[in-house]
This record gives sequence, C-alpha cells and structure tokens, in this order.
Amino acid sequence: MRTRFITALLMGAALLALCAAPAWAADAPIPKNDPSSTQLVEKPKQFNGTRVTFTGEAIGEVMVRGDYAWIHLNDDAYMERNAEEGAKLGGYNSGMAIWVPAALTKQIDTYGDYKHEGSIVQISGTFNAACKEHGGDMDIHADSVTMIRPGHVVVDPVPGWKAALAAGLALLAGALYWIERKTRNRVTPHRGV
Amino acid sequence: MIVRPRKEDHLVIGKFTGKVIIGVGMLMLIPLAVSIGFREWDTAVDFIVSIAACFVFGFGVQAVCRTAKDLSWSHGLVVASGSWFFATALGALPHFLSGHGGSYLDMLFDVMSGYTTTGLYMLQDLDHVSMGLNMWRHLLTYAGGQGIVVIALTFLFKGTAGAYKVYVGEGKDERLLPNVIQTARAIWLVSLTWLGIGTLFLGVRGLMLGQGPARAFFHALWVFMGAWSTGGFAPQSYNTFWFHDIGYEVICIVIMIAGSFNFALHWAMWTGKRSEIRKNVETISFFVTLSITTMVATFFLAKANVYPDAMSLFRKVFYQLVSGHTTTGFSTIYARAFVTQWGPIGLIATTVAMAIGASACSTGGGIKGIRMGVISKGVLQDIRRMISPESAVVMEKYHHIRDTWLSDDTVRAAMTVTIAYLSLYAIGSVIGVLYGYPLDQAAFEMVSAASNTGLSCGVTNPLMPEVLKITYIFGMWLGRLEFMSVFALIGYGYAVVRGK
Repeated sequence: MRTRFITALLMGAALLALCAAPAWAADAPIPKNDPSSTQLVEKPKQFNGTRVTFTGEAIGEVMVRGDYAWIHLNDDAYMERNAEEGAKLGGYNSGMAIWVPAALTKQIDTYGDYKHEGSIVQISGTFNAACKEHGGDMDIHADSVTMIRPGHVVVDPVPGWKAALAAGLALLAGALYWIERKTRNRVTPHRGV
Repeated sequence: MIVRPRKEDHLVIGKFTGKVIIGVGMLMLIPLAVSIGFREWDTAVDFIVSIAACFVFGFGVQAVCRTAKDLSWSHGLVVASGSWFFATALGALPHFLSGHGGSYLDMLFDVMSGYTTTGLYMLQDLDHVSMGLNMWRHLLTYAGGQGIVVIALTFLFKGTAGAYKVYVGEGKDERLLPNVIQTARAIWLVSLTWLGIGTLFLGVRGLMLGQGPARAFFHALWVFMGAWSTGGFAPQSYNTFWFHDIGYEVICIVIMIAGSFNFALHWAMWTGKRSEIRKNVETISFFVTLSITTMVATFFLAKANVYPDAMSLFRKVFYQLVSGHTTTGFSTIYARAFVTQWGPIGLIATTVAMAIGASACSTGGGIKGIRMGVISKGVLQDIRRMISPESAVVMEKYHHIRDTWLSDDTVRAAMTVTIAYLSLYAIGSVIGVLYGYPLDQAAFEMVSAASNTGLSCGVTNPLMPEVLKITYIFGMWLGRLEFMSVFALIGYGYAVVRGK
C-alpha cells in the first residue's frame, strides 16, 4: 500500500514537473550580456574582431538577403517585458545588428513591436566595430542562434478612465463647437487703429 | 513707453491661435485612422482624447475671442510663436498617454522636436511604439517642415490679408505666388508630389531588402517624412542604420538634400527654370561648405583608421555630413560612435555643418546657406573695396531666383541673425558644460538642437538634467522661428504686465 502511494506521489510530482517545465523555462533568468551592446558601442576598438555571445529580444522583422539575413537584438530594459506591458521605463532601446545565416532565423517565432514582445535569442559570432563587408556598419556576424524564450502577444486594453475622459472631452468639444457656430455673427465691433 | 495691448489685440491673437490649434486637432485624424486600421484601440482612444482637447481649446477660444479686426505684423508674430507653444502642449498628449514618456516635459521635448523638424527624442522603448503614435511623430515633423501655420493658412484662414504676417512669423518670407494662400498651397503641391515619389522609391527598396509590404510602405512613408522635412525621426531606435543598405541611403540623401532647399528654388525648378539650381547662392554655398566639412572629417577619420576601406569611410562620412548639413539628423552610426569612433575632429566637422544648416524658407534650420553666401560676398566686397582706388564704386551681386545687388543693409541683416544663432549655440553649450559634459559634446548637442538637426552624440537622453531639456526646447523653438516671433511673444507678455 505504502509503496503504491509513494509511486503515485513520485509519478504525480514528475507529471507536475513536466507540466511546469515550460513555465520554469519561461521564467528562467536571461543570461546577462558581457559585453553588452552599450559596452560594445563605448569600447569598439577593444572588442573589434573578438568572438562574443549576445542575448537579446528580436525586434521588428527579419530582413532576408540571399542566404543571410539581418536581425536586430535588443538587450535593453524592455528585453523581457516592454513598456506596453507596463514595464518600468528604463531609457532608450539599445541593441546590436546581427548578420546571420537566414536558415538559423527560422526558429525565431516573434519579432517585437507594439503588439508583440519578441523572442529572446542568444547568438554567438564575431563583433565588427566597422564591418568591411557591410560598408562600415557596427555589427556581429553570427554563426549560431539559440532560442532562449519564445515571444508572445501583448494585450494593451483601454483603461476605463481614458475612455471616460475621451467621451467627456468629445461632448465638451461638441458643445463648444455648437456655441461657436450659434454666436459666430456676434462680433465685437472693431474701432480701427 | 510700452503700450499695454488692448482687449482687441488679445481677441485677434486668440481667434487666430484657436484656428491653428483646430488645424492641429484635424491633423490628428490621420494617426487616429492608422490606429483604427491596425486595431490599436488604446492608441486610438489616446488620439480621441487629444483631438477633443484641441477642439475644446480651439472652439472655446474662438467662442470667446470674437473680433472683425485683422492681424497686424506684431499680432502675426505672436500668433505664430503662440500657436507653436499651444500646439506643442496639446500635441504632446498622445505621446504622454501612450505611457512611453518619463514626464510631460519629455513629451513636450519630443513634440517641439517634431514641429521644429529637429529629431531629438525622449520617447522610451521606441521599438514597441504603436503604428498610430509613429504616424503622429512623423506627421508632426512633416507638418512642422511645411510650417503648421502654412497648414492653417491652406485650410482655415480663407484669404485674410493678415495671413502673410503669420506666415512670415513662422520663419518663411518667400512669396512664390502673389497671394500668400496660393503660396501655401504651392508649398503643399511641391511637398505632396515629393511625398508620392519618395515613398514609392523607398517602399520598393524596402520590399527588395526583405521587409513585408505593410512595414515597407509605412517605413518608406515615415522615412520620407523624416528626410524631406529634415526632421530625422525614424520608426526604429536604430534610425536609418536599420536598413543596412547603400541604395536606401542614396535615396535618403537625395530626399534630405531636396528637403533642405528653399521652396522658392523648388518652385523655380517646378516652373521650368532648371538653371536656378546651378546659379542660386544657397546651393553654391551648400555644396562648398558640405565639401569642406566632408573633406576635413574624411581626412581625420582616415588618419584614425576608423573604417576598413575608402568606400566605407566615404559612405559613413558623407551620409552623416549630408544629414548634419541639411539639418535632418538621420544616422547610420550609433549616437555614441560620434564620440567613441569619430573623435573630436569628426564631432567638430559635423557641428560646423549643422551650425550652417540648410536653405532659408525650407524645412531645415541653422544659420542658412543664403546668409553664409551673403556674408561671404560681403567680405569679398570689402576686400575689393580695400584694394580698389578710393573713387571706384565696388558692387557685388548675388543670385537668388533673380540677380540682386548686395547692399550693406542686407549684409548687416544676415550678420545680425548669424550672431543671434552663434550666441544661442554658445549659451546652450555653456549650460551643457556647466552640467559636466565635455565642451565638444555639449556644443555638438546644443548646435544640433538649435539648428533643428537632431543628431546626437549621447548627451540627449531621458535622464539628462531638466534644465538642459528646457534649454534644448527653447533652442529648437528659437532656432526654428528665427528669433523674431519668439521675441515678439516675450515682448507681448512684457507689455501685458508692464505696459501703460
């Protein structure tokens, strides 16, 4: 009886762990970049030509150019949660432009914008302070892409106070327009200069 | 004795300011439509609130300020600068309601930057901003480039004789056509034609670069608005570096240069006077100073070995310098790269290009090419006078639409405004230095703000001192309206308080 109970308990725990795994992964801490995009921009000479590992939120879109593609990864204050989701404002966006084999970008499911928080991905590659291949752009030529956390849809509902304010102001504007139209011909006489 | 303005003066100023603000509210209908189209409901409500606030102000003021009096010159100047003030305060509502602003001051900064076609910004998490708000940011700068008063003139003023006085108050003084309303419409005709062609070229290029159709179209439209208005806003925080393409950069360069030209020059070309572009003192001045600053920056960056080859070097230097000289503010390098890669000489060359700026009566800012041309001609005239016999009459001519004899009055007027700009640049730079920024960076940023350029070397950010934010806001305002209108507004305020 006891053995059966312990087995059931263990199986239940294992099942719970399996179900919870994606949630854990989703909440797993994102590795901190060293160097970060800010450090790369501040000390381009120091890191030029070095191999770096860089993690960030995929932003905007992938722009495929033949066998390769451009993606942009932001490692800023909004990497895990953006301003539309209520993240505390933490300054400008910052990130790096990544030149990567197009095939590797297929695993990136979401690119960040107003309605989406982009996937967080980790790339490894060579940092170029002024890339010879790309007209002097500061970029990273990546040869590996690892998905860290998938992106998600961002819902930005209309707060009640805002809807009420809109309705109130619209009514007031309409009333003032009506008054202005009604009194248009009552002009203060001009006494000349 | 300072005469206190009478009730009639307040009424006429209120009436016309109200009209301009109603125009601003109507302009917000475009981003509202974009928000609804993309089902961005929260942003749509932000715009409904803002439109209603503009209408409450506009209709309210018009209901109170009833007068048959037309505008005088001083009224025109006060209406122009006052309209910009209120248009900024109310235009910042969508920014503030979006939740991307650290404070209302930051959002005032952004809107003033938009109207004045500067391009510096305080908006945070720009990469997650809605399509509607992005439309508003770029529309602000496009409308600001033509002049928000020009918009009101076109649609709302209905042929009032005083309209020209407001038009001049906004820093424009060219009459392309005998009637100022027709002039305002001619400006729109030129701008909208360029809008269609520019957006088409950038959109097609965007599709070729791998953008989706919707993003290619909207990015093209917004980048066009940023380039043509010499505003420099872009939909992504990476600015035009986002595209990584020389073709996109070339199209941007063409639009930036076209946008920086005088509307009178555009109109001359439009009406078949093609040789004007070769002969005009402003285009000659622009190409001379652009060449000099580009050569200086290229020489020193080549010496510093920043870029791997000559092509990359020229591509980067020419793009940033054209952007700076046309007072656009687009960049294909990181803001801090001006400091960490370009160094002091690159910063100074760009600062000089920004300080000189674009053409008069264009969308651009800065001292202006025509003043540089007139002052240069004045100096040459003085040198020729010195080496000529005393009895000789030495006269210089300059060409701007027509040949004009250079008078001492013209040179003095150009010098006065130039000194005003240099003083503004200097005061703002000193304030930056007092806050601990190095002189070259403080000067770069202040010149960028006051010449309405928008390039940044990293000084401008949401965490910068509030006093510096206010300094840059005033710098943008004074620089765009070329001082007189703002001085008239201050004088009006003083007269209200101290006049008899």
